[in-house]
Amino acid sequence: MEFFVYHDYMMFTKSIVYVLMGLFVVGFWGLWAFMTSRDEEIHKMPEHHKE
Amino acid sequence: MTTENNKTLFTPVNIITGIFLAIGLVITVLRFTKGLGYVTNLDDNNPWGIWISFDLLCGVALAAGGYTTSSACYLFGLKKYHSAVRPAILTAFLGYALVVFALHYDVGRPYRLPYPIFVSPGTTSLLYEVGLCVFLYVTVLAIEFSPAAFEWLGMKKLRNTVTKLTLALTVFGVVLSTLHQSSLGALYVAVPSKIHPLWYSPYLAILFFVSSIPAGLSMVIFEGTLAHKPWHHMMDKTHLDEHEGVILGFARGASISLAAYFCVKLVAVAYDNNWAYLATGWGAWYLLEVLGFVALPSMLYAIGSREKNIKLIKWTSALTVFGIILNRFNVSIVAFNWQLPSSQRYFPSWMEIGISIFVVTVGVTVYRFIVSRMPIFFEHPEYKDAH
Repeated sequence: MEFFVYHDYMMFTKSIVYVLMGLFVVGFWGLWAFMTSRDEEIHKMPEHHKE
Repeated sequence: MTTENNKTLFTPVNIITGIFLAIGLVITVLRFTKGLGYVTNLDDNNPWGIWISFDLLCGVALAAGGYTTSSACYLFGLKKYHSAVRPAILTAFLGYALVVFALHYDVGRPYRLPYPIFVSPGTTSLLYEVGLCVFLYVTVLAIEFSPAAFEWLGMKKLRNTVTKLTLALTVFGVVLSTLHQSSLGALYVAVPSKIHPLWYSPYLAILFFVSSIPAGLSMVIFEGTLAHKPWHHMMDKTHLDEHEGVILGFARGASISLAAYFCVKLVAVAYDNNWAYLATGWGAWYLLEVLGFVALPSMLYAIGSREKNIKLIKWTSALTVFGIILNRFNVSIVAFNWQLPSSQRYFPSWMEIGISIFVVTVGVTVYRFIVSRMPIFFEHPEYKDAH
């Protein structure tokens, strides 16, 4: 895609970046939830079942 | 020939080390007597080669374990990682010392080393900023490492004095690392027409800094894995007990920081609207780097951390370390001067590669000397619980 004025360039590319940033926030939440999900299972376990 | 412990010096490792050191010394003499042109394939198009890419850019990135580990322990109060601090500081100190050592091969005239700092500082140059930060950070790392040497030498007063400076040194170390990890990336912002658009970005400074965090964390895991077998007998109970926790915790940090690095990489492509390049051959190479050595290790670390799979995490650390090396090579060699015909592209001479192997061998030799003698993997009996 070609941009003929700087304003077009900033508007287009930045809007994509804002969408990506929103996706990244959700992605980070998902990654953290995935990594720590087993920790919660360990915490919920009765004391005598923990290693 | 035998040592006091009746162990022969002619072990396979020592023989290989000796051969690499001997070849390296010969090339060193050639470099400093016959000049750069005799030993390198550098030219006006490619004034910086493998010595900058590997010895300097990779060396600095992989030495980031020092500031990441010490800040986790002393700034964020995660004392469960305390046993990892000394090995990480040692690796960082040796890494940076070797960066300075290797830089002499490129710059020449080692006796002029103090000039940029003390005699003729070029304060308008980005290289001056890099040089000043490396000079200050090597000094900080030397002081941070010195308690281990003082404990070994029995210098209690000096050791206790230096230990009181730990927090200030850690803060200083983080500030300096942030500055010069990013300024190495910023160096390449000066050459937008030479680097392929997929690797060039006004965010190179941020990319270099963010990538140094998983590089450092992965290097601590990787180095710990390599050191675990040969120096297992040197490790005390605390170190061995905390080893697994360090790996799991650092894997989590590396996963998150790799994900952040992946995001900044994508934002850099989006911001410059370089999507079209992804459909080219260069794009395939870029995707291999970003998906295979950034996104994949991030996921593998997450899986390893979730499943408590230590083996997976250890292999992932090697993958990440390789990925960071690949990235620094891509920015400084592979995607550098990408528009030139292949006949004018740079490929290192065997002597350049020989010097890089020599520098790594010197580092490994000094590392072996230190960990075999000083309290790196164990707490000195006289200073137990003194932290």
